Amino acid sequence: MSHALSHLSRRAFLKGAAVTGGGLILPNWGGLAHARSAAETVTKNKKRCILLWANGGASQIDTFDMKPGRTTGGPFRPIQTKVNGLQVCEYLPKVGAHADKLAVIRSLKTQSPDHPDGIYHMHTCYKMAERTPHPEIGAVIAKFNGNPDSDLPSFVRMGSTGNGGAGYLGPKYEPFGIDRTGRMPYFTTSYLKDEDEKKRADLFRLVEDEFAAEHKAEPFESHRTAKERAWRLLRAKGVFDTSKDWAKAKDRYGDTEIGRGCFMAKKLVEAGIPFVEVGQENYDSHGDNFVVHKGNMLGLDPAWSSLLADLADSGQLQDTLVIWMGEVGRTPGINNRAGRDHFISAWTVVLAGGGIKGGQVYGASDADGKTVKDNLVTEGDLFATIYKALGINHRAKHHHGVRPIWLTPEGAKPVDALLV
Amino acid sequence: MGFPRMLRLHWLLATLILITTGVFRPPLAKADEPLRAFIDRELSTAWKEQKIAAAPKSTDSEFLRRVYIDLVGTGPTYDETTKFLADTDAKKREKLIDTLLADPRFAGAQANVWDLALFGRHPGNISDTRTRPAFKTWLAKQFTDGVTHDKLVKNLLLAEQPGSEMFMVQFRNAPDEAAIAVSRIFLGTQLQCAKCHDHPFDVWTQKDFYGVSGFFVRLVVQDAGGTPNNRTFTIGEKNSGEVLFSGNAKDAAPGKKGEPIKPKFLGGNVLNEPPTPKDYKEPPLPKGSEKMPKPTFSRKEKIAEWVVAADNLYFANATVNRLWAQFMGRGIVHPIDDFHKENTPSHPMLLKALATGFVANKYDLKWVIREIANSDAYQLSGVSASKASLPMWFERARVRPLTAEELVAAMRTANNFEINPKDPNANWDYFLRAFGEPTNGLGEFQGSLSEHLFLNNSDQVRALFRRKKGNLADKVLTSTEPWEKRVELMYLSVLNRPPKPKELEAFVSFIKREPKPDAAVEDAIWVLLNSSEFRFNH
Repeated sequence: MSHALSHLSRRAFLKGAAVTGGGLILPNWGGLAHARSAAETVTKNKKRCILLWANGGASQIDTFDMKPGRTTGGPFRPIQTKVNGLQVCEYLPKVGAHADKLAVIRSLKTQSPDHPDGIYHMHTCYKMAERTPHPEIGAVIAKFNGNPDSDLPSFVRMGSTGNGGAGYLGPKYEPFGIDRTGRMPYFTTSYLKDEDEKKRADLFRLVEDEFAAEHKAEPFESHRTAKERAWRLLRAKGVFDTSKDWAKAKDRYGDTEIGRGCFMAKKLVEAGIPFVEVGQENYDSHGDNFVVHKGNMLGLDPAWSSLLADLADSGQLQDTLVIWMGEVGRTPGINNRAGRDHFISAWTVVLAGGGIKGGQVYGASDADGKTVKDNLVTEGDLFATIYKALGINHRAKHHHGVRPIWLTPEGAKPVDALLV
Repeated sequence: MGFPRMLRLHWLLATLILITTGVFRPPLAKADEPLRAFIDRELSTAWKEQKIAAAPKSTDSEFLRRVYIDLVGTGPTYDETTKFLADTDAKKREKLIDTLLADPRFAGAQANVWDLALFGRHPGNISDTRTRPAFKTWLAKQFTDGVTHDKLVKNLLLAEQPGSEMFMVQFRNAPDEAAIAVSRIFLGTQLQCAKCHDHPFDVWTQKDFYGVSGFFVRLVVQDAGGTPNNRTFTIGEKNSGEVLFSGNAKDAAPGKKGEPIKPKFLGGNVLNEPPTPKDYKEPPLPKGSEKMPKPTFSRKEKIAEWVVAADNLYFANATVNRLWAQFMGRGIVHPIDDFHKENTPSHPMLLKALATGFVANKYDLKWVIREIANSDAYQLSGVSASKASLPMWFERARVRPLTAEELVAAMRTANNFEINPKDPNANWDYFLRAFGEPTNGLGEFQGSLSEHLFLNNSDQVRALFRRKKGNLADKVLTSTEPWEKRVELMYLSVLNRPPKPKELEAFVSFIKREPKPDAAVEDAIWVLLNSSEFRFNH
């Protein structure tokens, strides 16, 4: 059983308690504060999110919206789950066993049919062509559900993922990309010895204190805060090293990129990171769709199901929304290379955990999966639902220059049937 | 629409007249009063009205660093710093401004400022426009040659001079984007809302929007070769083609065909143009790098002439407002590209004086810059208790982050390197990634992890302050003077001021406690390069 620990900075931990006579806060060089009670206070009611990104676009008919016996159905056989009306592919038995936790939306109809635009659209719920820099879902969650005093970044991703970044929310919420094995991005290894780094930092603080005595403008403070955050992150790097625990977990999660990524995501949300995205390559099966999908599902099934099981066991699933989606679905029709092409008229996304009512299928495609039959869901509706599940106002307003912008487009509505 | 079309126009004109004649207050301008004095008189009047105290005059060091970064895009060298600080001439600030306006670095620095205004960090058609050395060379040459701003903008819109075409390449097959950008950058007007629906809080309708688009709809961007990092293009123009307008975007439906809209100047008349012959058929586009023939009637020439025409109030107002904000932080109309009836100028008389002077001085940017830089207002101190980065009434110096371009240059200058004349792109991508976009959608600075991870740990930054023959670390370590003098050398080189006693003591003991000073000197220089005092222009 693991506990939700948050890497809180000593600064936050000591707030109001250990401030020196001069009002200065003690430097954070003595190690991290693993403050469970403080973590619980700060992150109370703030939900987290893991996005499993099916890069290239997964086929709904070969996974969660099967059409057995139809010409579009393909060769895979369905498994009936314990949820009425929910069959899943024979290569997703372990995920299927968690059907009571899943909400399968089979009626997604979207607007961006290709990769860069679809990836952008399904990370921001806005069209790429608009030229306004919309933030990705990860940046939005970092802003609204992140803890500003954490030692760790609030928006972490691995593998092939979004292409929008933090957009108009600004560089404070930019993504922090890591390798699935926990390898850190560029410039996270100091060329100094620890003690020299500490001395250099102390001299920096002295210079800053002198300057701050006479210069009070906000940008200066923002600069200093970011510097301290960078140092704290370097001290907290150990969180990303999951190699020891991985040895014990890899049989369950599967020794694959998606398995390792899901395990890493679990560890990071436990450490208090509010958003982690894990990309899985590559579903873009214009040829050999069934070979491609079978291979991907063999990796996805143990990874995703173990993630759900571990989150449920530790009591965190109710506060952690797990999303499985990609940028497009795939055509019901099978082309002459045994492939399926991009498809946006009726496809599927799966939600589980935090704020979502599991054990249901929402919406339906027609008999051959060519159009939406019931309860059409747009990109905006999907994002409004996700934001509402996470306790974020989906109509929160921001500006890009003089233009007012909302988190989801006008007319987007949360699907209340999907929410707890 | 609810509001009669003509009434809207009258309202707009009335507002412009109010703004530009300043009937809100009795006219104050005196004959022969230099603009710099008028600036200070207008600002003082507002401070009295607002009951706020202005910051004191800047120190010589504050002014020196500020004016170097603003005018020539980098900080002063050690020699330039010590020479200026030792100068006892009462007119030394005015003389320095003249020197910097004539400095060869001025053109490159202003070209960088305008390049960013014209393209941003994510230009349209980015695969063609991402790198644009020929454009930057063209732009810098305009500043070097002292081309007046009306001519510069006209040539930019005509896109016929070699290198100048890139601005229009952004809008390849996107006349709407051209309409938005040209209105915003050169006319200070936001049209984008009117693309999909009538503007919610301004006078502009969708038909106004598509009227401006009509000037760009016939443009054709043609590849003309070049190298992958320096592509070249020509901008051709067809004889036919219209913008089709199909109503509110909400009611758009597939297959719904729009009505053609005639080109119309913003807030002005429909373009008077000869009709296209009834049976006219557009010839096929020429192949390869062969240029299109000139059209018999060029809409592009008409919009280029109209934008910079002497009676176009938008152009002069928008330009001086942009310049003012470049040096003073906020626009007099703020945000700078949002002139509309409810967004009134903070100092209407001043805006008028700037615009009138700009036109009277034949659109000479240098004249405006010289007057602003010589004002007491520009030379106020940055010391104050206010938290605002851009003070509303200009009561103290604004705080703005250095652009990525300025930061690279300032780091090199501080460390006694040339601003890399041979290889301007050395490590540029790294610096651009770390420092290219330091603000949120409202333009507010946000420190980022990636910026500091890069500053703290990268070899690209380290290469500047590690001891290397002739650089600052080398000068400090080679010197045999007492450490007090050598710390002063570091401070004057990086922050362009001597250290305060407490700083001097801390730096000397930081270095002296090490058996070998090399690493400590490098660390000390790193600290100064990383300070907020260095990161911002203030």
